[in-house]
This record gives sequence, structure tokens and C-alpha cells, in this order.
Amino acid sequence: MSDMATPSPQPSPLKGRGGNRDAVRIQEQDFSVEEEVTALRKTSQRMGGIVTFLGCARDFSEGRDVFSIEFEQYAGMAEAAMQSLRDEALKAFDIIDVRIVHRVTTVHAGDQIVLIVVGAEHRKPAFEACEWIIDTLKQHVPIWKKEVTPDGDAWVTQHP
Amino acid sequence: MVKVLFFGAVADKLGKRSVDAQAGLSLEELIAQLGCADIQPLLVAVNQEQIQDMDYIVQGDDEVAMMPPFSGG
Repeated sequence: MSDMATPSPQPSPLKGRGGNRDAVRIQEQDFSVEEEVTALRKTSQRMGGIVTFLGCARDFSEGRDVFSIEFEQYAGMAEAAMQSLRDEALKAFDIIDVRIVHRVTTVHAGDQIVLIVVGAEHRKPAFEACEWIIDTLKQHVPIWKKEVTPDGDAWVTQHP
Repeated sequence: MVKVLFFGAVADKLGKRSVDAQAGLSLEELIAQLGCADIQPLLVAVNQEQIQDMDYIVQGDDEVAMMPPFSGG
């Protein structure tokens, strides 16, 4: 993903300890935040700060009720793009490990959609990397969502 | 044959999720032939890599994807 705007690299000798094949996943089923944080923490005891971003489904959007949200992905390309996001973040920020899980299914209000967990020695790069990952995911990972509303179905086009 | 995949709002607009197309066309010509020329913005991937060069000539075993802007997360 050469067109991603990444900050200047800040190499860390601690990188690459994770290497977990399940650190990046697209799945239908729900996930456990606690289990993902635990898995991240197992990769290093050098982590002093762990930041999580949990994206959930809302029951209201664009001034109307939302009954449910249906997700679609470009299988293969989506997971590769998320893997690239993790790789880019590990290179660009002073962090130790990252996990990214995104559900692709039909979700309802309050359901979990996406989880990003970032571990670092210190909190600042963990916060920065987490924000960069979710912002970049919305722009570079081929996943789409369609909101089912009382007025009909509507594909979501913006990524605020 | 070239496999062309449609996603999201593009698939809904065309009423189909995939078609087979002839090799040898440029992406610009393929987009016009498939009725996607008026879909803006339209993102295109060849073999699961996004591509900007609409002069690219599609090859026989290419997988082309016509996609609306992403909205995951």
C-alpha cells in the first residue's frame, strides 16, 4: 500500500516478536476484547501502554434509525490490506505489537464491528498508531457497509 | 477470459456481482463496456491491487474489481 501516508519510521529493536498468524483477522463471528488484549500481552512483557479502539454499530445515523448494518468485503484483498496496515504501523511507530479484527456479517445496534489493539512501551505512540490504523483502514481496506433503515437500504459512502 | 467482480453500490447499480470479459481492452474501455463509466468515484483493482492507470490492458487471467470507495470500520 505505497500510497498510505505514514509518519517517519521509528525503528524499534522490539519489533517482530508477535508474528501471530491470527493477529489480523476478518471473520463473521464476534470477538472478545479481553482475549485479544491477553493475546497481545503474551507477545511481550515490555508493554507499558495498551490502547484499544472498538468500533460498534449505532442505532442512529445520518438523521435516521438504523435497524442493522450489512458488511461486504473483497475477500483476499481486504485481509492483505489489513495485514499491510499492521506491517506499516509496526515500522512507522514506536510500538511493539498490533492486533486487528474486523467482522464481516450483519450486525445490529450495540454489536462489535472492529477492534484494534496496540501495545507499546509508552502510551503516546500506542495512541497515535491506533488512530492511524483505524483512519487508514477506513480508506484502504476494501470493506463496505450498508445500513438497513426504515427508508430502505443505503450504502455508506463517507468515512468520518 | 477476464474475470470482473463488482462490489457494494457498484454491484447493486449493475444488478450483478461478476461477469467474464474479453482480454485486450484497456481498463477505460472495459469500464465503458460494462456500463461503469458514469459511476464516480470508481476504484479499480487488478489481481487484488488497486490501480490508477486506466490505460492498462487487461490480460487473459486477470481478476478485475470495480469498487465504490471503502467504508469499513
